[in-house]
Amino acid sequence: MIFSELYSAYYNTVAEIISRIIDGERDERKLQKIVSEHAFGESVTTILPALKSGKWQLLRPDMSTVLKHKPSVPLTNLQKRWLNAVSLDPRVKLFDVSFNGLDDVDPLFTPDDYYVYDKYCDGDDFSDEGYIERFRIILSAIRAGTPIKVNLTNRSGKEMYAKVMPLRLEYSEKDDKFRLITDGCKYLHTINLSKIRSVKYCGETFKHIPREERYDTVTLRIKDERNALERCMLHFAHFEKRAERVGKNEYLLHVKFDHKDESEIVIRTLSFGARVKAEAPDSFVELIKKKLLAQKLLNLR
Amino acid sequence: MSSYSELIKNFERIRAYMREFYVYGFKSRDGYNQKSARSYDDERRRMESILGDHMSFVRTPEGKNIFISIDSRSSRHNPFYKAWKSKSFTDGDITLHFILFDILHSPEIALSIPEIMQIIDREYLSEFDSPLMFDESTLRKKLKEYCDEGIIISEKSGKRMLYRRAEDFDLSDYCDLLDFYSEAAPCGVIGSFLLDRTRPHKNAFGFKHHYITGAMDSEVLAALFTAMRQKRVITVTNHSRRSDEPRRNRIIPLRIFISTQNGKQHLIAYQPDFNNFRSLRIDYLSAVKLEEVTPRFDELRAMLDLKQSNMWGVVVNRGKRGKEPLERVTFTVKVEPNEDYIIKRLYREKRGGTVEKIDDSTYRFTADVYETSEIIPWIRTFICRIVQLDFSNRTDENKFRRDLEEMYRMYGIEVSGQ
Repeated sequence: MIFSELYSAYYNTVAEIISRIIDGERDERKLQKIVSEHAFGESVTTILPALKSGKWQLLRPDMSTVLKHKPSVPLTNLQKRWLNAVSLDPRVKLFDVSFNGLDDVDPLFTPDDYYVYDKYCDGDDFSDEGYIERFRIILSAIRAGTPIKVNLTNRSGKEMYAKVMPLRLEYSEKDDKFRLITDGCKYLHTINLSKIRSVKYCGETFKHIPREERYDTVTLRIKDERNALERCMLHFAHFEKRAERVGKNEYLLHVKFDHKDESEIVIRTLSFGARVKAEAPDSFVELIKKKLLAQKLLNLR
Repeated sequence: MSSYSELIKNFERIRAYMREFYVYGFKSRDGYNQKSARSYDDERRRMESILGDHMSFVRTPEGKNIFISIDSRSSRHNPFYKAWKSKSFTDGDITLHFILFDILHSPEIALSIPEIMQIIDREYLSEFDSPLMFDESTLRKKLKEYCDEGIIISEKSGKRMLYRRAEDFDLSDYCDLLDFYSEAAPCGVIGSFLLDRTRPHKNAFGFKHHYITGAMDSEVLAALFTAMRQKRVITVTNHSRRSDEPRRNRIIPLRIFISTQNGKQHLIAYQPDFNNFRSLRIDYLSAVKLEEVTPRFDELRAMLDLKQSNMWGVVVNRGKRGKEPLERVTFTVKVEPNEDYIIKRLYREKRGGTVEKIDDSTYRFTADVYETSEIIPWIRTFICRIVQLDFSNRTDENKFRRDLEEMYRMYGIEVSGQ
């Protein structure tokens, strides 16, 4: 069962508190900080008081513990089954881990039990040895905070070199691709991992270049016909957004997005047809109009 | 006196509220009329406690609207996972849990129930003025529960039943893998539980186009996977929007269909009583009960494999009125010389369809599908270059054309001479 106290923030927090107490910690403020970091907004009023009062009989009045060892619990079958399932995923080769010790459980699922039906079919080749090697170098550079030198093929097919600080690997489930998000190079903030031919650690110092972040907010008017409201709300659910009801069956949805993704948002808006109308900003509406005008001129047969 | 607790006993209630607040988020307190005002206040307070900064509100003439707003691209871990860590428990549960694993601190230690009882009373609870009392049946029940979870192993030694902890599993090399798969794999919340056991580390991953709503359906999803692994029939409650009352369905679950473009998850299942395949939204399902093993599972899944090449989305059959087994959808697009990316789009997004080059600037897409209306939103993404449409389902083709005309009107698109 997933919804179990075994995985609860409270159990984890109590385990951490007792571990710190066994290490000699007695400062209540520091223990309370553990609560704020590991549990929920109001947990500070419940966890330590329950331990101190003997409601949960694990601490003595002097804040020492009756336990003799730092708390630990073996993995549950559910956790092992999930790990076993992950071990069957094609992308798992990117990670240098072995899955010994899971033979006693069946996987929770196999790749045959689910199907991602609308991801693009030109995703990265996760079985390519060179790709795996480059992925691992980049991953360790990110964790170590080390600049790297990459050799890549740019959009026009030309080979180029760049020294960058790797910040994170961004995965798109839709594209089934990894992109490397970087700092230190003005013109190369995002690099498709599949475009990188070689990578090596680079000892040189790196200079932070502030990235010009530009976000836009598009306002969409939704006519709730043919379940358009739910479809639209779910479709744009992964963005920061706000919705309001403006009429009996009419809603406004404000979606904040990275300006670089504007073309994508335009076609995603068009995909809803006449149920969804872009109302602002004007520049966004003009892009939609331009496409519709071009379409009208084609005299669809 | 309020009996509010930030912990919850039943996830179903918070599941419904979270979806309302996250997916919609425009209702005021009065809009939640299916529950009492107290219930609304409690759930809102719990969510504020669990989700913290992700909760926002706006004041409208109808009242204060609470909503959850999360840009999943900037959030390294799914914030909804925290809700799965809010299960309530009793004072006895938590006390017994920690003492039990302290006594059984190594897999080499194997003890009987009377031995464990004695140690609990003598070495742990005797230190308290009003010690909690655990009787043998409470301890037996807890051990049985933990044996079922796999964290305690029971073994016979002569006539005695002994209990010991299961072997530990070292997760120290798994941090990167868990950071990735806790977001990218189904039931990722379990990966989040595993991450809670690792030491603090730098997370190297981010996610784009990342739908996080599915997290709320993890329990249902895990039960469906378990049923499929065991090839079982299930009964499940379906709260479909098409019917007022929830219905109990008896089905054979065959495969989960996941969308990366709208975040929905569907179960494709076979319904023995009606001899048909159907798809069910997983966020509408609850109370999955595993029933008997079915000998038909492999045969039915093989049938689904065959059907899959004609499924654009999740529609697995032709509608009742459909005379032909499949509908043909054809459209042609015009591509300018500098628009290779459109050709790439056609090829990478075609799913079971085919793409044919007519000439240097014209490409034709064709697919045979169960339901034309599923493919229409995608065709609309090619607006500004569609030169020809031909759907065997004329009703859907006419709808597409009428909708396009309505869009022209809506945006005031006029062409002189037309």
